[in-house]
Amino acid sequence: MTLRVRSVDEKGILLWATGNEPLDVLFDGQRVWSFWTGRDADIPVVPWRRFRWPKPLRRYLDGTTKVTVRTHVTGRVLSESELRFGSADRRISVVNAAGAPLGMDKSGKMTATFEGRSQRDMRPLLDAMSVVLAALERAGVEPFLAYGTLLGAVREGDFLGHDSDADLGYVSRHEHPCDVMVESFRLQRLLRREGLQIYRYSGAAFRVDLVEDDGTRRGLDVFGGFMDGGRLYLMGEVGEDFRPEWVRPRSTVTLSGREFPAPARPEELLRASYGDSWRVPDPAFRFRTPQHTVDQLNGWFRGGSAFRRDWQRAFSRFRGQPPPKGASALAQLLHEEEPTETQVLDVGAGRGRDALWLSRQGRSVTAYDYVPGSLDGAASAAAAGGASLDIRQLNLTDLRSVLGEGARLAHGSAPRAMLARHVADATNGFGRESLARFASMALRDGGRLYLEVWTGGGAPPPRLLAVDLTQMRRRLERHGGRVVRTEELEEREADVPPDRAMEVGRLVAQWA
Amino acid sequence: MALKDIVKRTRARRDLPQRVADLEADVLELRRHNLRLAEIVDVVTELVVPLSSRDQDKIDAAIEKFNESL
Repeated sequence: MTLRVRSVDEKGILLWATGNEPLDVLFDGQRVWSFWTGRDADIPVVPWRRFRWPKPLRRYLDGTTKVTVRTHVTGRVLSESELRFGSADRRISVVNAAGAPLGMDKSGKMTATFEGRSQRDMRPLLDAMSVVLAALERAGVEPFLAYGTLLGAVREGDFLGHDSDADLGYVSRHEHPCDVMVESFRLQRLLRREGLQIYRYSGAAFRVDLVEDDGTRRGLDVFGGFMDGGRLYLMGEVGEDFRPEWVRPRSTVTLSGREFPAPARPEELLRASYGDSWRVPDPAFRFRTPQHTVDQLNGWFRGGSAFRRDWQRAFSRFRGQPPPKGASALAQLLHEEEPTETQVLDVGAGRGRDALWLSRQGRSVTAYDYVPGSLDGAASAAAAGGASLDIRQLNLTDLRSVLGEGARLAHGSAPRAMLARHVADATNGFGRESLARFASMALRDGGRLYLEVWTGGGAPPPRLLAVDLTQMRRRLERHGGRVVRTEELEEREADVPPDRAMEVGRLVAQWA
Repeated sequence: MALKDIVKRTRARRDLPQRVADLEADVLELRRHNLRLAEIVDVVTELVVPLSSRDQDKIDAAIEKFNESL
């Protein structure tokens, strides 16, 4: 098996390689990327193999650095050279905003990995793990270390250098996915009662967010699982033949000098998670979960937060910033037609431009979105100006969220109007059904829904899906709404060029 | 084998890919019911049961607690 580095330049690394083994790439001694010489090659049958600098790393490449290429398993240095990228006269620094070194993780993102951290640095994470494990235990499940954290404990007695988070898991006593989810909802409720913040990924997995003494936020993933018919299913990657005695009674493993719970046979869970080669270090590991398992887990547990990640990403760069000035034509129409004392519910408020504008017109406004933090900027701006803007979370693809908030509103008696601009076209069919249901619950004592969607014509707007206006109309009517106005118009924001204009449909529906 | 049986069998074979696709879609649809059923069970146990108490303070507290726990 031959392995030689032919060149390292601004484009990438050229190898002469015939086998398949993991290599690390270091910048000034810091691991920034790992790859497999065979698996990740464009054409593995050819020994000349070029590996381009991966996209997430490229944005850091401006300046000089000492590039080291070495084998991951033995640490043998294959090449070391001083290299210049771009024109900047400085050393390349691959760090995040807080100055923590970044390396590529298994999902291909540049992440602050555990590499180079001291035992002292890891103490807050170990403490956080103990807190969450104890809380889960009190809530009635039997948690253990899972995935990379279990792998690190079993193989090295420590965290894996190229890992970046801690994973916990449990196997439910239930055998039916529905019961597993009901249990997961109950766990969330109990953990919440203990003061922990929860961010739900799916019906059987969530993240516990802890705020440490110095204000650092830390998220721990908790993956639920269950056994049925001699198979273990563990969110989000495992669906394998498994024996109950490999799960319980739990054993213990040592991680960074502390004891933690593990499944009865940790090596069997590692085999189920990573395959037979789990003992071989792999800094560039990628899950190859069989499509059937993915379909099973998706079908049972996912679908309660459709498109949320895309919207989260879209809003993340505006975090904390006030929304743009002004208001949409639809918000202005609502303001003209509704008496000032009418309370406004802005569903899918996004960054809160319309909600903030309406609250500044002296209205009481509740802004709903399912992306946490998207409305922070609008909330601060409203608070600073003394406007009445209430921020609440609403997830149209989670029935509990819609029914829970609907029940809260059903009790109130204030005159209301609902604004739903580009929300029916930002969700799926279930979300549209939920929107109609939510409107009927909130407006059943009388009130109007002002809705706008992209109908498919003109320039396709990012993240929106075309909605058929007639179908939307029928949907609202099924939920008791009487459509009093239907319009089709061209919508163009002031700063958008004419060729980016899109065709929108507008519906105004009246309840009671 | 009668001719009509051969025709029947050939037709069944020809339709097989479509039947598999339909079955897959049906299975997915059934799997999806788990999440919605779990959500409804949660709403019934956490919200509907307290609502039946007809005590407004208890109802308000249950709704608030439920919404906070999502």
